[in-house]
Amino acid sequence: MRNFRRSILTSRRTALGMGAGTAATLIGAPYVIRRARAQSDFDWKRFEGEHLEVFLSKNPRSALLQEHEAEFVELTGISVGSEQVPEQQHRQKQVIEFTSGSTSFDVTMTAYHVQKRLFAKGGWLEDLRPFLEDPELTPPDYDFADFSEGSVAYATQADGRMDTVPFNIDPWIVYWNQDLFAEAGIEYPDTYEGMLEAAKAIHAPDKGIYGVVSRGLKNANTPVWTGLMLGWDMEAVDAEGMLTTTSPEAIAAAELYKTLNADYAPEGVVGFNWNECQTSFMQGTVGMWIDGLGFAKPLEDAATSKVAGKVGYGVFPSGPTARHSPLFGSGLGVSAFSPRKEAAFLYCAWATNKVNQVRMLQSGAGAPCRNSAIFDPEVLASLAFPEQWAETLVESARIARPGLPVIIPVSEFRDIYGVALTNMISGADPAEELASATEQFRPVLEKSERA
Amino acid sequence: MSVESPGGIALGRSGNPAVRRWQYLLFAAPALVAVFLVIVFPWAFTVFMSMHDWGVVGSRTFVGADNFLRLLSDKRFIESIGHTLYFTALAIALPVVLGVFAAVVFHRNFPMRGVLRAIFIMPMMATPVAIALVWTMMFHPQLGVLNYLLTSVGLPPSLWVYSPATVIPALVLVEVWHWTPLVMLIVLGGLASLPTEPYESAVIDGASAWQMFRHITFPLVLPFIMVAVIIRAIDALKTFDTIFVITQGGPGTASETINIFLYLQAFAFYDIGYASAVVVVFFVIIVIFSLILLWARQRTLWVVDN
Amino acid sequence: MNATGPLAQVRGAFSVSAKRGFEVLFGKLAFAFAVIVIVSPAILVFLWMLSLSLKTEVENTAFPPVFIPGTLTLQNFYAVFESSPFALYTLNSIIVSGTATGLALLVGVPAGYGIAKARSNGIAVLILIARMTPGLSYLIPLFIMFRVLGLTNSLTPIIITHLVITVPIVVWIMIGFFENLPRELEESALIDGASLWQAFWRIALPLSRPGIVVAAILSFIFSWNNFIFGVVLAGRETRTLPVAVYNVLTFEQISWGPLAAAALVVTLPVLVLTVVIQKQIVGGLTSGAVKGG
Repeated sequence: MRNFRRSILTSRRTALGMGAGTAATLIGAPYVIRRARAQSDFDWKRFEGEHLEVFLSKNPRSALLQEHEAEFVELTGISVGSEQVPEQQHRQKQVIEFTSGSTSFDVTMTAYHVQKRLFAKGGWLEDLRPFLEDPELTPPDYDFADFSEGSVAYATQADGRMDTVPFNIDPWIVYWNQDLFAEAGIEYPDTYEGMLEAAKAIHAPDKGIYGVVSRGLKNANTPVWTGLMLGWDMEAVDAEGMLTTTSPEAIAAAELYKTLNADYAPEGVVGFNWNECQTSFMQGTVGMWIDGLGFAKPLEDAATSKVAGKVGYGVFPSGPTARHSPLFGSGLGVSAFSPRKEAAFLYCAWATNKVNQVRMLQSGAGAPCRNSAIFDPEVLASLAFPEQWAETLVESARIARPGLPVIIPVSEFRDIYGVALTNMISGADPAEELASATEQFRPVLEKSERA
Repeated sequence: MSVESPGGIALGRSGNPAVRRWQYLLFAAPALVAVFLVIVFPWAFTVFMSMHDWGVVGSRTFVGADNFLRLLSDKRFIESIGHTLYFTALAIALPVVLGVFAAVVFHRNFPMRGVLRAIFIMPMMATPVAIALVWTMMFHPQLGVLNYLLTSVGLPPSLWVYSPATVIPALVLVEVWHWTPLVMLIVLGGLASLPTEPYESAVIDGASAWQMFRHITFPLVLPFIMVAVIIRAIDALKTFDTIFVITQGGPGTASETINIFLYLQAFAFYDIGYASAVVVVFFVIIVIFSLILLWARQRTLWVVDN
Repeated sequence: MNATGPLAQVRGAFSVSAKRGFEVLFGKLAFAFAVIVIVSPAILVFLWMLSLSLKTEVENTAFPPVFIPGTLTLQNFYAVFESSPFALYTLNSIIVSGTATGLALLVGVPAGYGIAKARSNGIAVLILIARMTPGLSYLIPLFIMFRVLGLTNSLTPIIITHLVITVPIVVWIMIGFFENLPRELEESALIDGASLWQAFWRIALPLSRPGIVVAAILSFIFSWNNFIFGVVLAGRETRTLPVAVYNVLTFEQISWGPLAAAALVVTLPVLVLTVVIQKQIVGGLTSGAVKGG
């Protein structure tokens, strides 16, 4: 625990990189254990009798919200119909509903790394700043200043609009199998080079043991590559909005991606999304798994996981010039077409309150955005997960940097480069693939910025 | 006010055949209205959209044939046509061969034929999405039951839908499982309508079972087989659920058919104008394909008649 | 070919009748083998689905696979019904497919009659092309139409899109059916002074009941199985079963048990329907399909 405290203290001095070149301090203020203030002056029941539809992306964090939904209903007298839909369909359905000019949902979850600019362009989400400033709508103990600056920056549009409140961040880490590492007599690597060597040392396909697994499925795989690129201190779209995807750094990252997946991953990785990766890792047959940090709960569940108790949690290794954790995240917003925007905002405020943010961390479902949740020693001491997980979370948040370019056509970006990456796994040359993908994608990007 | 027609057949009150024809078409009027609203109107509107730059956000502008020109130079679209044709060819040939074989088997009388036939046609009625999910599980390269079966009989494991080289044949396997029963039913219907005389004389002449099949059965059921080929071709070209659920067009674009490409443009990239152009081109391909097959069918009929 | 060697030796050793008997037996065995080869893939996939749905997750991801569940569990089915309102989705599917089939019969049966009697090949071809066009291609314009009409978030737009599937099937099967109906009865009714409508309603319609049953069953099943319309148009309360099954895909590891259970729930009604009315479907598909050329 002492080690851990120290890492918190150091993290207070360091920064969480946000957006191209911007660095913002993760911790705005030293943590204090704040007690919920008396709420006599705040009327939670203002919208009693109304009904809200809440549209969530399928993940353990949404499951937590649903699990505790009754609490909101009791507090406000607002009835809630909520559902979780698999990520890909959730994203499609949102756009389809928004373009139809009326939405079946009042509250929705937004993935910043995919939808931030698209939603801003459509003007589909309500600007929440007026709500946040309204003492009749924002509970007195909500304490917006408690959100880490980084997550607030992630939630803020270029023109200053806040169309969501930050819900969670999802820095990527490396899960590693302690048994397989011990058998190979190696330590968890600190660098990309070390990661390759570790994969090589563990990889024994004739015994059904593989060095590493990460997403190979087109579209889902693109963040792995852009994430690796951060180790060369390079984002896929630079500060001037130019594509860097044919740079030597981009090619080097693609080479690394290719080697990891073509030489040291299970056969068929080309069709793996995170759930297939997770299944492979849970069978105890894979040395390392690169993905978001929200998977501790299933991995430590002995009923389904053969690696429970043997999982190491490692910070994303360092590239040749930098060490970053690719960052993703999501927020909760209010549909601009909702006739019940104020009630909907109350839901957002409840869902991102301190109690719910602490719950997220405690259940291992993900990383909350509130400093009071991440850095509360009482909370951290009560975690049911290995200390290493929490340490990795804090350290990853410290070095986090957006894992995907903040552009409008993120879906096209992921699709086009995703195809290039799968081609590489099947043997194609990274430089050529990136060149042809860039040729395809550049007009799409230019068009989106023009319109 | 019945009138005797020249052929001696009595007609109803309005004896004029042309008037009668129009009266009969009135029966079709409600259906035609429905078809116009949900089928013809969308066709026309699609053509309209295909000539516009039509996205979800931002303005829509008339661009003439730009979308079509873009399609012509879109390597991925051209490749998707190739994938579609490859998939379609396999998904016609295999079910037809197996379906004819199954029909010959089910044409004979044997114990429990009814029950076994019911089991055999079950795949055809099963919900494609549900079935596709089950096949996905069976295809899993490490944990799937298919690789277990292969290795347990001494064959090397396959990557099935997880390799660009095998993905389309693997998807066709699902298609074969699903649609062979339909071919069987069509051919079975043909077999049931065959005359018995040729067989009787063939038996007298001492022909073998294979000779009888080759020289009597096959030519006679050929028109039915052609019907099966046409139906199979149309369904195979249209295949969406299975591919979407199992591979989404992957790995990479290895199983991206026109339909999947279309879905991607329309509902992942929201490029409505471009997607509409795909629909138009796809429609033309389907009509051409059907015409070729109908022509082929007429030819087989002609050959058989002679 | 190897079989002929030993077979020839056998032939020499046995009397003519024994030889016959052997050949008959051999033929029967070969035939039985053929039947098994043909039927087993069909049944095995369903059995594997059943097996997956009744096993625990540990057994489902075990390798080598566990074929017969060690401990039977209904947990997967509970999970499916608890995690989402599957009963509601079942009801939605019944309403959507039922209404779309009902409407299609209402307009399609008279249409099939009229087109068959008028021998209108043009309209028949239009219906055929409609049958051939991929459903996906209707989706964009219909979606925009619903948007303009403000028809969203209810079952209505989904039912309308399902008409794209059901109307052509019904019309097509009914054309084939009415064409094969003997004409004499109607004609004598017409001579007796009945109107065209009366001839249709009193004579042709009762005779065509078997055709209507087949058309209804097939259009219901094809509508039931439709996935793409629901995926784009349906929301939380308007989802149909195939879409709901696809949504059982979880965030975490691939959980095959609940997925197989959900798949079984969707497919089971259709399979039961198939087995129960197998004969009608066989007859209808054969005639409808042949006409389909």
